Amino acid sequence: MAPGEKIKAKIKKNLPVRGPQAPTIKELMRWYCLKTNTHGCRRIVVSRGRLRRLLWIVFTLTAVALIFWQCALLVLSFYTVSVSIKIHFQKLDFPAVTICNINPYKYSAVKPLLADLEQETKAALKTLYGFSEIKSRKRREAEPCSSAWEGPQPKFLHLIPLMVFDEGETSKATDFLTGQKRKVSGSIIHKAADVMHVQESKEVVGFQLCSNGTSHCATYTFSSGVNAIQEWYKLHYMNIMAQVPLEKKINMSYSAEELLVTCFFDGVSCDARNFTLFHHPMYGNCYTFNNKENETHSTSMGGSEYGLQVILYINEEEYNPFLVSSTGAKVIVHRQDEYPFIEDVGTEIETAMATSIGMHLTESFKLGEPYSQCTEDGSDVPIDNIYNAAYSLQICLHSCFQTKMVERCGCAQYSQPLPPAANYCNYQQHPNWMYCYYELHQAFVQEKLGCQSVCREACSFKEWTLTTSLAQWPSVVSEKWLLRVLTWDQGQQIKKKLNKTDLAKLLIFYKDLNQRSIMESPANSVEMLLSNFGGQLGLWMSCSIVCIIEIIEVFFIDSLSIIARQQWQRAKKWWSQRQAPACPEAPPSLRGQDNPVLDIDDDLPTFTSALRLPPAPGAQVPGTPPPRYNTLRLERAFSNQLTDTQVPAES
Amino acid sequence: MGKPGHREGATMQVKKYLVKCLHRLQKGPGYTYKELLVWYCDNTNTHGPKRIICEGPKKKAMWFVLTLLFASIVFWQWGVFIRTYLSWEVSVSLSVGFKTMDFPAVTICNASPFQYSKVKHLLKDLDQLMEAVLERIVAPELPRANATRALNFTLWNHTPLVLIDERNPHHPVVLDLFADNHNVSASGSPAPGRACNAQQCKVAMRLCCLNGTVCTFRNFTSATQAVTEWYILQATNIFSQVPTQELVKMGYSGEQLILACLFGAEPCSYRNFTALFHPDYGNCYIFNWGTAERALPSSNPGVEFGLKLILDLGQEDYVPFLTSTAGARLLLHEQRSYPFVKEEGIYAMSGTETSIGVLVDKLERKGKPYSQCTVNGSDVPIHNLYSDYNTTYSIQACIRSCFQDHMIQNCSCGHYLYPLPRGQKYCNNQEFPDWVYCYSQLRQSLGQREACIRMCKESCNDTQYKMTISMADWPSEASEDWIFHVLSQERDQSTNITLSRKGIVKLNIYFQEFNYRTIEESAANNIVWLLSNLGGQFGFWMGGSVLCLIEFAEIVIDFLWITVIRLVAFSKSLRQRRAQARYAGPPPTVAELVEAHTNFAFQPDTANPGAYPDEQTLPIPGTPPPNYDSLRLQPLDVIESDSEGDAI
Repeated sequence: MAPGEKIKAKIKKNLPVRGPQAPTIKELMRWYCLKTNTHGCRRIVVSRGRLRRLLWIVFTLTAVALIFWQCALLVLSFYTVSVSIKIHFQKLDFPAVTICNINPYKYSAVKPLLADLEQETKAALKTLYGFSEIKSRKRREAEPCSSAWEGPQPKFLHLIPLMVFDEGETSKATDFLTGQKRKVSGSIIHKAADVMHVQESKEVVGFQLCSNGTSHCATYTFSSGVNAIQEWYKLHYMNIMAQVPLEKKINMSYSAEELLVTCFFDGVSCDARNFTLFHHPMYGNCYTFNNKENETHSTSMGGSEYGLQVILYINEEEYNPFLVSSTGAKVIVHRQDEYPFIEDVGTEIETAMATSIGMHLTESFKLGEPYSQCTEDGSDVPIDNIYNAAYSLQICLHSCFQTKMVERCGCAQYSQPLPPAANYCNYQQHPNWMYCYYELHQAFVQEKLGCQSVCREACSFKEWTLTTSLAQWPSVVSEKWLLRVLTWDQGQQIKKKLNKTDLAKLLIFYKDLNQRSIMESPANSVEMLLSNFGGQLGLWMSCSIVCIIEIIEVFFIDSLSIIARQQWQRAKKWWSQRQAPACPEAPPSLRGQDNPVLDIDDDLPTFTSALRLPPAPGAQVPGTPPPRYNTLRLERAFSNQLTDTQVPAES
Repeated sequence: MGKPGHREGATMQVKKYLVKCLHRLQKGPGYTYKELLVWYCDNTNTHGPKRIICEGPKKKAMWFVLTLLFASIVFWQWGVFIRTYLSWEVSVSLSVGFKTMDFPAVTICNASPFQYSKVKHLLKDLDQLMEAVLERIVAPELPRANATRALNFTLWNHTPLVLIDERNPHHPVVLDLFADNHNVSASGSPAPGRACNAQQCKVAMRLCCLNGTVCTFRNFTSATQAVTEWYILQATNIFSQVPTQELVKMGYSGEQLILACLFGAEPCSYRNFTALFHPDYGNCYIFNWGTAERALPSSNPGVEFGLKLILDLGQEDYVPFLTSTAGARLLLHEQRSYPFVKEEGIYAMSGTETSIGVLVDKLERKGKPYSQCTVNGSDVPIHNLYSDYNTTYSIQACIRSCFQDHMIQNCSCGHYLYPLPRGQKYCNNQEFPDWVYCYSQLRQSLGQREACIRMCKESCNDTQYKMTISMADWPSEASEDWIFHVLSQERDQSTNITLSRKGIVKLNIYFQEFNYRTIEESAANNIVWLLSNLGGQFGFWMGGSVLCLIEFAEIVIDFLWITVIRLVAFSKSLRQRRAQARYAGPPPTVAELVEAHTNFAFQPDTANPGAYPDEQTLPIPGTPPPNYDSLRLQPLDVIESDSEGDAI
């Protein structure tokens, strides 16, 4: 014999396949209740009296229900987070600091491009408000505005004119340039008028955007002429600047040497070389300190003298009078790989002041899927990042809008980066873009574009809490000498004596080196869940996984096999009865003795019923259930019986 | 009488017990390993083992494997939980609201440490030198023959400023600013720096040590910084030689600085402020510091219940070269903590009303073993120099003390900006000529700072005052006249207006509607958590409890006991066999007879000497343990059935 067969035979001998021991389901249940480790079940069997039994059945079922309920609660609350806040005192990385002049381009440089627009604006001011000439205090004498714009005379200015609307009759508007009345169709959209209810003004100023192909028009009106003119100016300004190449724009803006008079970081001098250029469409040249990924500065002491100290030269004379109406600089503190959204978040710096900005660093970490919807690096967000920076919610929203803009309008909006294979909108190539843009923007604000639902927040972010305070600078007594030295420092960049209103001092520093980290961690682990299950099972029923296996074994395997066995026996009996006329001599009970309760299966196999059974002719041991429900005896009786059961199965 | 009797009784008892033990040992094991195991499995309260013994062999095997599996899972999970517990994690609870709290200590300083009119005599030489330097840098063409004559060059020669001409980048030329007086300049070309501007020439500070033999240049990209740094260094040298009492007199007095004070509805004055001499800002005044008297509580939010101050900065009397920023410096801090105004303070601008809403942001941490924080700084290896001010430990104080320690170690003198340890001196040019070089080396060194950060520990309670700052012009043009008049009258008893917009500051400091946000740490995993999780795991997999563990321990002890008894029996039999081998079947000795008498199970081995087969075939011992008799039946049955199965 092969050794494999030998082993097989041995296994067969030692581990014979046997069915369930109990003959009937009822018996099985009874056996289960007595032998099981769970607590309630035994009571049901042991209790005397119907009421008590009923009570125990109710209790047991309630306990089971409670277990299910509680475990369901545990499972449902599995994906919760616990938050921990930690403080570490350590050497901190200094953030990147981006500084921009509020005015994007030197007016003297950009004026030739904007000559027509300026003329138009002045004319509008004159006709609308009777304002004749800008009494520029020290502004360069207005050179004769010879239009430097080569090529065709820009007609777009006349396509979108400023108009005066009568509040009463919205369908009529006066074009201030030609004076002719125009028929206005389309809806009038008051900017902010929905919430503000400006009632006093009879006449409102605004402009109308129409799409060329269709007669759809959108009219924008403003309660104040200041807003109207600025918005209108901005619209045309973007149109013009979109056609200017980037190098030219950079040249028109301020250089780093010009903007930064002095720079001091952590007790060491720094200069323009420590700053990197970043061109922002609306703010011109911005300069970022500490932007280099590999050589990040860090701070190992708190306090203003260990931070960044810069003196900025804000040349107010070069300001564009219509585009910006405030003076100063904007500063934003951000991560090295983060895109500085100057126009959205930024601290403004006043001239002739020292602005001291104390920082506290807070780091937040969120748990991603499945705890929350945040994204680790934006790779799983279906929107291409058009910025050359790390993912953030704002980048996603802007990218989404820009992509949609390119899709719908065929060109990209000026104040955001260009997606691949697209160019900025201008009136020559895309005459419809303004209407398209405003319509799209409206939809975006009303969350109709779906950007807000697609974009998800980033899982980790650093946040610098800023405490800003102002002081007078330079002080009365130090003004004289300081301005002299600063003028020397600026040297040949500017050929004039500095005034204190041209300068702003900025101090950015860590107040202390405490870094707060807000971290989410899973509140539950699998171990905790299991031990909570164990606690629940133990509390209500003194149950364990073993009981669950028992339940599976008894209720599913054993009872099913009992049922199957009964069905099999019944079928066999039925078959033998059918065959009976053919061979009536065949003893029908030869097989039936396997299961003595075959014909009375719906009744309890009591002692009497067992006695009623026909004795099996060939069997040595009668298949009677034991008279007493002694566990010990029961088992022996069943085991004897079952060895018999096996015989016919094999034969 | 009774005592010895009692003792005798006790010894008797012990003896009896020992004899019993001996007998038991001699008798051999009362029952077998198998019996014991079967008994345990049947009677234990854990769920798995019971099933091992009560069913057929296949299920037996299955349940055996399952039980082992579950037991190992339980142990693994226990390990996980114990490790989690020993990682000492904390959970935080956050509470926000309003309650009556101690008003924060408010430190007010003037940005200028001294009144120029009072320190003029000390700074006279330096200022003249400074003006000459500026003159040379900015307008070098002008003749200055008469201007340089009166200058005191001892200050200058110690740490001079130089111009570095970088027009030829390969041969930078160093020019002393007063070259025509001293001829230090190495370059022979006549007046090379005349046409120099900021892009071509850099101003640098020459730092020398060891009598000018070792020199370095500290470069600056702008002349403004160079002269400012230079001036501060020289002024530090001058002031460090003046005793503190005199410095206090030179600063702004409380009476001068604080014009009006109102706390809640109660008037206060400069007398309610504690004076503190701060090396950076001169005389600072601290309201509600809490070192001498109890701290004042504030029980209402809003401006009306806070602190209102009117300050006069006296901007005209600022030291012109020392500070270029004019304003009041302000810091809110905890009671009994040292105000580090320069690091954490904010500015308040003159001619404005600054309103500051305060939210107390407190973090209370658990100490060891949860984190490395320190409660009072006593376990930090650095002596807190600020404890002389009766202030509590803070990490800022520790880091500054650490710096001063290093300064004294390296330069053998203390820096003027930090407190002095006992028996040390502040640095000055006369006694410590190398200190500037040494100090600037130390200040640049990152290693020193990191060492300090490593040594200092955070304190367990961290309080931050979150401020919402807003500003407005004050006084308004309409009210300007009478306000100045009244304030001038009050302070100087003069009818002339002695105050101006440039110097006057109004401050409102008050609690916000929610004045506290407390983050409190508590142990995330305490011992109750651990026990309930251990219990949960044990219960979940095996339905066990602590009592089951005790049962198990009992069985293990029984096991060991059986083993001991067997070993004793085995060694005894070995000895006997050897004895038998030597005498080759002698008649039973007396000892053997005695043995046979005491041990019922004893059988003389004379019949077959090699008959000590394995344990199974040993006859079942006669006396089962008394406790187990009711249960013995079944295990015996099982054994029988097993052996029957084998026989078939």
